[in-house]
Amino acid sequence: MMAAAGIRLERLTRRFAHRVKGEVYAARDVSLTVAPGELVTLLGPSGCGKTTTLRMIAGFERPDAGRVLIGEEDVTGLLANRRNIGFVFQNYALFPHLTVFENVAYGLRVQRLAQDRIAAAVGEVLALVGLAGYERQFPQQLSGGEQQRVALARAIVTRPRVLLFDEPLSNLDAQLRVRMRAEIRALQQALSITAIYVTHDQEEAMAISDRIAVMSRGTIVQEGTAEALYRRPASEFVARFIGRVNLVPARVVAAGGGHVEVEVGDHRLRLAGVEAAAASGEKVRLVVRPEAVALAPAGGDGLAGVVRTRVFLGEKVEYQVGVGDDTLQVTRYAGAADAAFTPGTVVTVHLPTAGVGLLPAGA
Amino acid sequence: MLVLWALLALFVVFPLGALVARAFFDGGRFAPGALLAIARDPNHLRAFGNSLLLGALVGVAGTALGFLFAFTAVRVGLPRGWSAVLDAAALLPLVSPPFTTAIAIIFSFGPRGLITWHLFGLKGFTVYGLGSTFAAETLTYFPLAYLTLKPVLAALDPNVEDMAFSLGSSRRRVFRTVTLPLTVPGLGNAFLLVFAASLADFATPLILAGNDFPVLPTQAYLQITGLFDFKGGAVLSFVLLVPAFVVFVLQRAWVGRRYYVTIGGKTGAETAVKSVAGWARWPLLAGCLAVAAVIGWFYALLAYASVVVALGANHAWTWVHYRVIFTEGLKAIRDTLVIAGLGMPLGGVYGILLGYLVARKAFAGRRAMEVVSMVNYALPGTIVGIAYLIAFNDPPLVLTGTALILVACYVFRYSPTGIRTTVALLQQIDPGLEEASQSLGAGSARTFWRITLPLLVPAFFAGLGVVFIRSMTAISATIFLISINWTLITVRILENMTELSLGPAAAFSMLVVAIVFVVMAALSRLLRRFRTPGRVMVAGLLGG
Ligand SMILES: Nc1ncnc2c1ncn2[C@@H]1O[C@H](COP(=O)(O)OP(=O)(O)OP(=O)(O)O)[C@@H](O)[C@H]1O
Ligand SMILES: [Mg+2]
Repeated sequence: MMAAAGIRLERLTRRFAHRVKGEVYAARDVSLTVAPGELVTLLGPSGCGKTTTLRMIAGFERPDAGRVLIGEEDVTGLLANRRNIGFVFQNYALFPHLTVFENVAYGLRVQRLAQDRIAAAVGEVLALVGLAGYERQFPQQLSGGEQQRVALARAIVTRPRVLLFDEPLSNLDAQLRVRMRAEIRALQQALSITAIYVTHDQEEAMAISDRIAVMSRGTIVQEGTAEALYRRPASEFVARFIGRVNLVPARVVAAGGGHVEVEVGDHRLRLAGVEAAAASGEKVRLVVRPEAVALAPAGGDGLAGVVRTRVFLGEKVEYQVGVGDDTLQVTRYAGAADAAFTPGTVVTVHLPTAGVGLLPAGA
Repeated sequence: MLVLWALLALFVVFPLGALVARAFFDGGRFAPGALLAIARDPNHLRAFGNSLLLGALVGVAGTALGFLFAFTAVRVGLPRGWSAVLDAAALLPLVSPPFTTAIAIIFSFGPRGLITWHLFGLKGFTVYGLGSTFAAETLTYFPLAYLTLKPVLAALDPNVEDMAFSLGSSRRRVFRTVTLPLTVPGLGNAFLLVFAASLADFATPLILAGNDFPVLPTQAYLQITGLFDFKGGAVLSFVLLVPAFVVFVLQRAWVGRRYYVTIGGKTGAETAVKSVAGWARWPLLAGCLAVAAVIGWFYALLAYASVVVALGANHAWTWVHYRVIFTEGLKAIRDTLVIAGLGMPLGGVYGILLGYLVARKAFAGRRAMEVVSMVNYALPGTIVGIAYLIAFNDPPLVLTGTALILVACYVFRYSPTGIRTTVALLQQIDPGLEEASQSLGAGSARTFWRITLPLLVPAFFAGLGVVFIRSMTAISATIFLISINWTLITVRILENMTELSLGPAAAFSMLVVAIVFVVMAALSRLLRRFRTPGRVMVAGLLGG
């Protein structure tokens, strides 16, 4: 097996002519480093340039500027067939006129391996993806999940240095999606192949990746582990894109020593462990996740609120609570004491004082 | 690529240029006088008007008939057998020599016609004129509309109609407000196709129109073969070029913006189609069957005529007509087969090569190449024939009298079907397949041979099949190009018709239909052995 190689993207840029808007940047100065054996997800809304970026890495699309490095080798000028990359397409792109065996064997035949070695290698990967015995089927005779596995087998059989996935699970139903993403992750780790995975599904991204790079309008706006992005989003876009969020307007009263004191309405909070720099008097927004907000019966210290709606979702309960003119999303576990307020109830809202991110008012 | 350009220049641009030059220039001087003189000739003016009138009538009637067939085939939910009957009825006229309907009409309604004379004892009934020409052309060309409209109707998502239905529309209303509007581009396309076919047809009017109803293509033909007046022929066909060009432009501008039917997406559930009320099925079916019966009658009559001494006069059994065509006519049969056999592979290869270049490669002049490749196809055959005759009759390139000119004419005139099928197929083939092959290490040559080409096999066979069928049945262009050395069955049929030896004409026609059917069956057999997505029936490609 070839040793896993890292990937480095340096200011990749790709422009397209748009009929109405003139030139649009599908990717603009995209820089990203993926360590050997790591799986990084490009996450972002439709049209943000994920596919374009991935296709530039694969060599299907030529960048207008910037470089692609695999290992330490600059491959920007190499054709796609010289890059030794495995690509899994959204619609699988299985060759309809070839059997499952021939589909998987295709890359090996290109390498002119001996027939018995091809047969052995194909048998091995097909077993790995759980499709032993499907050799003589044609793609049209397989279910979506099976086609997905063939595509995966075809991409890994040549032991590529890098695996690229473009929304590989979007054609599958919800349950299969969850199962396949676990399988893909397990396989990628077992083979320790460097991988870049494109999706617009934040849950999938969180489940499968070592790190996530969030894209918006052709650029990477933030990258980090799922947890870091969730807890410390750098912008409203990232905060809203990953998970549900309340952005609570506040004003900094005092800052220093790892603590920030803010005013929310006429209520004061002393936040611990805030990394963002904040100056006294500055207007900010607190990044408060719904599950971090606690509710209590009216009275006592805290913000006054009114329960507007309550939705029971099995293991959890989702509230919308009116606080002043704003509405807060609140999630509580169904067994908890504060999970039983009915709409109309006046409650006291406790905002968390730790693990709260700060965003400047305009970000 | 350069080779392709050279070929296109030689066999498309050059002849057309020569035709225009002949029409406008006289001994090197610009002399539009001849054109004006012709334009002022009341006879020719009438022919021009007649051509347009006939084309419009046939266009409307053919489209209506085609829609009836297509709608019945797609929406009435016929059992398999019945739709096979419809298909066969629509297919027969397409694979026949051009005058079969005309001959059959004469057999039925002519001076000694089975129906007019024998059944009703009518004497002095004249079959010749606008009415019979119109009927014959409508029956001959409505299959074009049928083949155009059937996929359009089939591609309409039944869910859309269901939706309108569930919103409370009546069936009639659904048809009027949903089905019909969605079919309008298809109807327009069908009309243009049938109109153009009628405009270009000279065989049917030659036999049926008679002296009182001259049309342009016939006039041009008579000008050249009767009077050896190349210039007059050139001018007349130039006049014909104007409406043909208008149709071509209209088609590209308006209908060319195609609605692509993608394969692979989740299709609507195949629910029983509710757009046709139960009672309405029977009149629709009856209408189609009536037309099918007429066509069936014509062909039965033709078959009968080929085995009796003289239809209408002496109904004794005989094989003499077949003996005639296999002795005297043997050369024509051999020549036709040789030419069709040569044109077939060339046309197939040319079609997918050009289609592939146009659809997948980016190069300067791509659009121009596509348009030029369609020109000979879009032009009426008479024009193409006269253009070739003028262009290749004198040095530097003398090709008249050779087989090459016939083969070239067929290849460049009828390969566009193959080109279009290739383009359409490539549009359905996900470029991801080629990229997948590339990412697995294959170079572009290997990708083409192993992935693209196998997927284009249906287009190859389609292109080749159409060139073959047309080589067997067409006459409008090649009638100007035959010689003592190389002649064609269709031309022999025409000669037989004018000599009033209808028996051999019928026998020749039967032979052509039989050969075409055998070859088509063989082709679709072959095609079935290749696994490909979006399998295309050769028969389905004679349209558009
Ligand atoms: N070949 C092309 N020609 C013109 N514009 C293009 C082309 N390919 C992509 N674009 C444009 O570039 C932008 C980014 O496209 P891209 O396919 O990379 O988005 P994406 O993030 O993959 O979206 P999705 O999640 O919908 O797949 C889009 O605005 C798109 O319209
Ligand atoms: Mg995409």
